[in-house]
Amino acid sequence: MKISEIAQRLGLEICCGNCEQEVFHGCSGDLLSEVMSHAKPSSIWVTVQSHVNIVAVAAISGIRAIVLCNDHKYPQETIVKAEHEGICLLKTNKSAFEIAGLLYSIGIKP
Amino acid sequence: MSITEIMNHSVISVRPDRTLRQVKEILRIKRISGLPVVDSSRKLIGIVSIEDIIKALEGGYIDDTVENRMTKDVVSIESTATLKEVIEFFEKWSYGRFPVVDGEKRLVGIVTKNDVMMALLAKLGLVYLHDERRREVLDSPEYFARSLLTGERLDKSGADFYFSIDYFDINLAGVGASKLRQFLLSKGVDEKTARRVSIATYEAETNVVIHSGSTGAIYCFIKPESIFVRVEDTGKGIEDVELAMREGYSTAPDYVRELGFGAGMGLANMKRCSDNMIVMSKVGAGVVVEMEFLRGREAKG
Ligand SMILES: Nc1ncnc2c1ncn2[C@@H]1O[C@H](COP(=O)(O)OP(=O)(O)OP(=O)(O)O)[C@@H](O)[C@H]1O
Ligand SMILES: [Mg+2]
Repeated sequence: MKISEIAQRLGLEICCGNCEQEVFHGCSGDLLSEVMSHAKPSSIWVTVQSHVNIVAVAAISGIRAIVLCNDHKYPQETIVKAEHEGICLLKTNKSAFEIAGLLYSIGIKP
Repeated sequence: MSITEIMNHSVISVRPDRTLRQVKEILRIKRISGLPVVDSSRKLIGIVSIEDIIKALEGGYIDDTVENRMTKDVVSIESTATLKEVIEFFEKWSYGRFPVVDGEKRLVGIVTKNDVMMALLAKLGLVYLHDERRREVLDSPEYFARSLLTGERLDKSGADFYFSIDYFDINLAGVGASKLRQFLLSKGVDEKTARRVSIATYEAETNVVIHSGSTGAIYCFIKPESIFVRVEDTGKGIEDVELAMREGYSTAPDYVRELGFGAGMGLANMKRCSDNMIVMSKVGAGVVVEMEFLRGREAKG
């Protein structure tokens, strides 16, 4: 599913990146090594981590979009790096639990 | 685990009518220190050790037959024994090896302490150098010049990829691994392999930045069948590598935990992503991680 379609259906705010990419899988977590070990390529990541390291984690493990929950804000550094790496950054005031449930319900696979 | 999985099946034995001088030659040529004695139906009837040979040389009876001088009440283990029972045997008797026999007392193998240790390490899934070899490597001035995995001299200047981990800023963690990923893709390495390599390298790189308190380097060699990566640092080292390898073990300070590091999963990730891995460390001298990735394979588990 296209990231732009997900953003629209879940009411996510788009901060940067190419939203015309497709994602098929989802993962959630705030521990970077854990995400690295579980995330599949072409996936969307639900987290409350916003600092710049999340971009390297995403780029290396094939995550194409990150959803930052609970109304946390991305530091400018993170946005700059994500733009450089082509990672799509999204944000929402909903909780990670709610976002994961919604993603699942629209057909994003674990 | 049963003893048949860990013992040496191709056991060398000797007949009782041979002389001790012949035994001496076998021990010398095969570089072993004892031989089980079997009769014509392969039944275990005794054992001769290097000690018996020394005594024979001293006592001037080296041309005597094995039968006259062997130890007859030899302690053997049944081939149905478990690993636990084998370990108990080594505890109970001070011998270095035990012949393994079947239900009819026929010799089927031999087991040494080293076999037991290797079996345990294999079970841990760890390629881990045993103590002697480890000390040898660590004490040698070539500690940083030889490959742990292959034992060969590493021509680091000939590496296909080199990255110096010379930053301490945790925000930069993973730049080397990201560059390596790009590099591998540009060299036509398939996407899945590149992903495995870069995840494992990311973990090793962040460990250098977070834990070593020092700088380090990433070397990568692209081979036709595999990708070889070595990440090394000259920092404080790891006191107990086995403990550090355990999933969930972490000494990460609080400020990096807040950033999502410190799950204690880094080393476990490296092991999962690679096909072969060795971690070697000397406290105060640094850590070396070597990993081999066979090309065109999925990650384990
Ligand atoms: N290069 C190193 N120098 C010194 N200590 C290290 C090094 N690499 C690992 N360690 C030690 O090994 C422990 C386990 O490392 P591992 O990568 O598995 O977990 P972590 O780095 O603590 O957490 P995570 O990788 O999940 O963020 C570390 O907490 C640290 O004590
Ligand atoms: Mg780590």
